[in-house]
Amino acid sequence: MGSRRHPNRSLLLFCLPALVVYALFKLFPAGAGLVYALTDWNGLNRDYDFVGLRNFAEIFHDRYYWDSVLFTCKYTAVMVVVSNVLALGLAVAIESRRRAKGFFRTVFYMPNMISMVIGGYMWMFIFTKVLYYLADNYGMKFLDRSWIGDPRYSFIAICVVAAWGAVGYLMIIYMAALQGVPRELKEAAAIDGAGGWISFWKIVLPMIRHAVTICVFWALNAGFQVFDVIYALTGGGPGRATQSVAINIYEEAFRGNIRYGYATAKSTVLFIIVLVITMLQLYLTGRKEQEL
Amino acid sequence: MKRKRLIGDILVYGFLTAAALVTLFPLLMALMNSFKTNGELLTSVIALPTAVRFDNYVRTFEKMHYLRSLGNTVILSGVGVGLIILFSALAGWKLCRTKTRLSGFLLKLFIFSMLIPFSSIMIPLYRVTLLLKLKNSLLGLAFVYAGLGVSMAIFLYNGFVKSIPLELEEAAAIDGCGPLQTFFVVILPLLKPITATICITNVLWIWNDFLLPLVVVSDSRKYTLLLSTNTLFGQYSSDWTAILSALILAALPVIVFYALFQKQILKGISEGAVKG
Repeated sequence: MGSRRHPNRSLLLFCLPALVVYALFKLFPAGAGLVYALTDWNGLNRDYDFVGLRNFAEIFHDRYYWDSVLFTCKYTAVMVVVSNVLALGLAVAIESRRRAKGFFRTVFYMPNMISMVIGGYMWMFIFTKVLYYLADNYGMKFLDRSWIGDPRYSFIAICVVAAWGAVGYLMIIYMAALQGVPRELKEAAAIDGAGGWISFWKIVLPMIRHAVTICVFWALNAGFQVFDVIYALTGGGPGRATQSVAINIYEEAFRGNIRYGYATAKSTVLFIIVLVITMLQLYLTGRKEQEL
Repeated sequence: MKRKRLIGDILVYGFLTAAALVTLFPLLMALMNSFKTNGELLTSVIALPTAVRFDNYVRTFEKMHYLRSLGNTVILSGVGVGLIILFSALAGWKLCRTKTRLSGFLLKLFIFSMLIPFSSIMIPLYRVTLLLKLKNSLLGLAFVYAGLGVSMAIFLYNGFVKSIPLELEEAAAIDGCGPLQTFFVVILPLLKPITATICITNVLWIWNDFLLPLVVVSDSRKYTLLLSTNTLFGQYSSDWTAILSALILAALPVIVFYALFQKQILKGISEGAVKG
């Protein structure tokens, strides 16, 4: 038996297929990115030269890049709060009743099945046609806004569509967690005179802390990578007013400029930002769980 | 007490119903208006269509090469998920059963990259597909998805294998099974529950992924459903009846998939999320 005498050899053989595709399409690009970020590689010339840290110096002064970083942070902050509050609210509402649980769960999760590109285009119809129609014919004047064309409102439009797509997913996770809260605990609290609100804050929420961590983490991660919704709704416009970092990098590399080296430097900075936030969160949640 | 309960019911069900209407609103509006003529749509976007006509669907079905795009998406997701499951189950099982320094290192190596955002590796990855001549190859793209997807799947398999008793493998070895035979005959069937979860989450991911095909696929004959829909949206900028019928056609496969496997999907989603 070869595997008994050489455990590592058989281990490597079994890991080989996964290791090959993983190295080629994930590890190598990640490493190569760090190298390309130091070059002036573009889509026009075959060769490229090393330019040291010049790309990073340029990023430092690239107003559009920092605008997109700021936009992404704002978007992520709003989405983390809004989608989690809505998802938890829906999950609690559904779990608190006996009837029609399955129906509501089915409906709320449905948008998550559909690509955000398709969902985004469907909402585009709502924002550019239906809302105007309602405003003109039913006197709902507050709907008469340039939802896609005015950056103030298109930010709202983007958040609405993104929340529409994400809430169902988070709700499923919260529902699974809520089902794990023992009924006796809530009943005991009710006997001790705790109302619904107090028992939610003091008993239910601490019991589903794990799910909250997962959902916040997921929303943070999804927020920083946001691409599809914005691509479908505004394309980053008007101008560059709703560009996320991913859209900014995509434009730099594949639209117009084709400056791959510079765009790679931008994506390296994005990675560092995500890494710092992840570390910070792991540190904070780790500390909190130790406290408890 | 009874009255209080009734008010609670009305409030909660009212809230849920309103939320459900908002959720379904874009889908229903798209569906309803996709049956209208352009004239009808101009007159009113919220009136019911005067008749159920499939003219728009006939028009876009051909224009977006529906069957070809659907076939491409099926091939891409099917092969991609097949590769992820095979590669990760092989690796995840051995990684769990081997207790050496190398196995610890490999597991960490597979897991650490889950932090890297896709847009951070997008451009070098684009170059890799050019160098390996995988651009515009659906099979090649399926291997790329395998590379991006194995981390999570190995992590899940590795965790699941811990719960499988070692005796089964030892018995198989005594019966003269080689490691590969043991894997396919004994282990793989036992992994079924977690394989279902991995299968569902990855099919949905690859099916709905937009950015990677957008970057790598430029040949319109290799377009996925999303790419065809996106192109059509650009061509028919304000012909909403055509666009809406295309959107419904593009959403149809996942809606059918959802209707058929709803239970498994919802179970897989929450398990995949909680264990990841």
